[in-house]
Amino acid sequence: MLEKSQLVNDMKKLLGPEKVISSKLERYTYTYDSSFLSQLNEFYPDVVVCPMNTEDVQIIMRYAYQHNIPVTPRGAGSGQTGGSVAVKGGIVLDLSGWTDIVEIDEKNMQVVVRPGIVHADLNVALSPYGLFFPPDPGSSKMATIGGMVGNNASGLRAVKFGNTGQYVLGLEVVLPNGEVMKTGGLHSRALKSVSGINLTSLYVGSEGTLGVITQVRLKVLPKPPVRGILLTLFSSLDDAAATVLEVFKNGIIPSGIEILDDSGIKAANKFQPDLKLPEAEAALFFEINGSKAAVDFEGQQVKEIAEKRASSVEWATDAQRMAKLWQGRAVIGAASARVKEGATRIFCGEDVCFPMAKVPEALRRIKEIGAKHNTLVVIYGHIGDGNMHTAPIIDPLKPEEVQAAHRVADDIHQLALELEGSTTGEHGVGFTRSQFMEEEHGKALEIMRIIKDAIDPKGIMNPGKIWAER
Amino acid sequence: MKTTYRVDFAEELKKCVRCGECRANCPIFSESKREPDSPRGRLSLVKLLQEGKITPSAELSEKLYGCLLCKTCAVNCPSGVITDEIVMGVRDYLDDVLDRNIIKKLVLRGFLTRPALLQTSFSLVKLYQKTGLNNVLTRSKLIEHLPEQMSAGAKILPDVSKKLARGRIPEVVKPYGEKRFRVAYFLGCATNLIYPDVVVSGVDVLARHGCEVITPAVKCCGMPHLAYGDTDTAVQLAKKNLKILLSAQVDAVVTDCSSCSATLAESYSKLFEPGTDEYNQAKELSNKVYDLSKFLVEKTGVQPGPNPVNVAVTYHDPCHLKRGQNVFKQPRELLKAIPGVEFKEMKEADRCCGSAGSFSIMHHDLSMKVLERKISNIATAKATVVATSCPTCTMQLSYGLKTHGMVAQVVHPVQLLAKTYQTKT
Repeated sequence: MLEKSQLVNDMKKLLGPEKVISSKLERYTYTYDSSFLSQLNEFYPDVVVCPMNTEDVQIIMRYAYQHNIPVTPRGAGSGQTGGSVAVKGGIVLDLSGWTDIVEIDEKNMQVVVRPGIVHADLNVALSPYGLFFPPDPGSSKMATIGGMVGNNASGLRAVKFGNTGQYVLGLEVVLPNGEVMKTGGLHSRALKSVSGINLTSLYVGSEGTLGVITQVRLKVLPKPPVRGILLTLFSSLDDAAATVLEVFKNGIIPSGIEILDDSGIKAANKFQPDLKLPEAEAALFFEINGSKAAVDFEGQQVKEIAEKRASSVEWATDAQRMAKLWQGRAVIGAASARVKEGATRIFCGEDVCFPMAKVPEALRRIKEIGAKHNTLVVIYGHIGDGNMHTAPIIDPLKPEEVQAAHRVADDIHQLALELEGSTTGEHGVGFTRSQFMEEEHGKALEIMRIIKDAIDPKGIMNPGKIWAER
Repeated sequence: MKTTYRVDFAEELKKCVRCGECRANCPIFSESKREPDSPRGRLSLVKLLQEGKITPSAELSEKLYGCLLCKTCAVNCPSGVITDEIVMGVRDYLDDVLDRNIIKKLVLRGFLTRPALLQTSFSLVKLYQKTGLNNVLTRSKLIEHLPEQMSAGAKILPDVSKKLARGRIPEVVKPYGEKRFRVAYFLGCATNLIYPDVVVSGVDVLARHGCEVITPAVKCCGMPHLAYGDTDTAVQLAKKNLKILLSAQVDAVVTDCSSCSATLAESYSKLFEPGTDEYNQAKELSNKVYDLSKFLVEKTGVQPGPNPVNVAVTYHDPCHLKRGQNVFKQPRELLKAIPGVEFKEMKEADRCCGSAGSFSIMHHDLSMKVLERKISNIATAKATVVATSCPTCTMQLSYGLKTHGMVAQVVHPVQLLAKTYQTKT
């Protein structure tokens, strides 16, 4: 077994000391992401390295492969499943400083980036070209593209624009043995390709278990010129869910449909008092974008549908008001703690996805689970695709509340499976949901393991994730 | 952790859900891109300390002093974590348990608590500048061989050859016309010593707006001490200033320095136990403290003189004014009221300039990287004058403009307003 000091010294020698973080104090800041479980444990990496080019990553991987050292790729550490936490120690690759945009290919509507670029920064860079990268995680200001690809993230605009995977045309990957592979064609700029087995798709959502993504070619779209947001409030969760279904039935696909429950509305108002959301059981935010004529027409249609059940309806096209509304919804994940003095929200059981038809039942039963365990659960999320985020609000200094929250998370995950949904719609598995994978996937999990073993025979890539310990 | 600076560490720290939103807002993280330099990283280390899992160390201290205290993370935190306050509190704690650099101690406890000594030291700096020794050091590049911090300080320090403000202002200045307010002008250390012209303009403008202005012999507001964890000295200074200012029988305490007003209005009450006399006095003072632009806009109304000031002006928001006191509309309103001024809003006007008191000296290279972005935004605004309401921001911006070969001048908004009363000769 290699001595830790030897590992640190070798990394410094191979990459230069400025790319290596080795003090215990500094390494501690890489032991967590947003997940509650990562904060209850202290998974120290032995060393953190900050590669700035593909060769750096190759050097690290060759070394790790030779010495059987675990390697955990990490972006902003804003994930909620412990995916970027080194549960088996070893090397953490902090890729968040590698933020280059290699190329904006305006005519072919694609962009090539390094993994550390932040989602919001990419869209700022694309804006002058009239382009945008559509998936919009609520964590747009911190999430890196590498992390989004690794988890196949989606977010607030998935209803119309889908998830990250739908935009990844090709990847550069450093394999566990240090070799470099390009997926999607070595020189391809094609927007479509069915040439060969789709390895791009294999890597999207693989959570760093199959190699290190060092470059991403993304399809981007023309930025919709006009946008409007319809804010609607309901006195029952059922009415909110029924409204969403009726909008779809009328052939309208908004870019996003978001929900806040009663506690979420309170939290949003506390975070941004000038939002002034009226009290209600549920708030829905419909975002509609496209040409002016389409936005006006569809906005009016959605408004008429909503008015059948809503207690209040507001159609906003003013840029400032829209930004406030969207931001109010986007940050609710962290802001939901504001509903209860002396408490905080924790991230566990936070990303379940239900079939559309079962959303009303799911919402009701999540409330019941919270009540059963005497835990306030704020519900918010992407009702347009059934992806609900649930936020237990607890005092983490009280062990009984922590225990109750774990039970809430377990029950919510089980509910997702019972209602023919998924334990995770967009955040990934990490180590916080691996115990449910067998039940969710059955035989398919075995095939996933076979693929993993074939690509990473030594099991050094992000060990302890997705699969429960064998 | 027991500290004089009142922060409930356990309650505040548990609010952080480690979402990382602060990474997007922190000017220091923007440059370093390393988690230990992010607000979330610092908070995680404070939590370890608070839980007794680590002991105070020089390395921990270095991480906590790598924060600008610009409040950007705090005002943008969805969970409402007051990271800057927590960092200030821990610095207070570390000050009690770690041996602090002897030079910093001398400066904080020796010079800044004794105005006379401070003035003498600045006379030495004047001598250094008047003899041309600074030029010799700079031209010969000997300056590069001075200890890093001394070299950085010598580069940033502007010309201090002017007579100190205190010597140029009568103890009582009568209002022009009818007296509307009696105002105490809180003369901050940096403005008094480095930018005395601001005080001269400020007092004159207040008098022209119907104020009787007194300039009490106050002590340093205590901000440098708070920033360096020397809270005991800050408490002593606060007590003295509270006594001086509350006995002055004034309607308002006005200052041109955003750090001074933030300290007087916001920080003093955190130094005393609620319910004590000092706490109540701090609250009483807080209600009387005004930033100069805010006072002119909200209390007197801006009454410019007849002479236009034909310049294109942009405004840089000092952190302690915008995020510390929610004052950002008033300086702009004041500038726009000045005849001839063409106001040009710059991009990211409220982004920290990297000065943060002595941060630009103690962490020079990092500070310069933060400054770089600000200078670029000023250049894009195409203004010939940059207005701001903080002497250390003024120093930092002037240095940045000079090193980038830009001719734009940095002034306090009130200096432009004062020009409207001057008759051209």
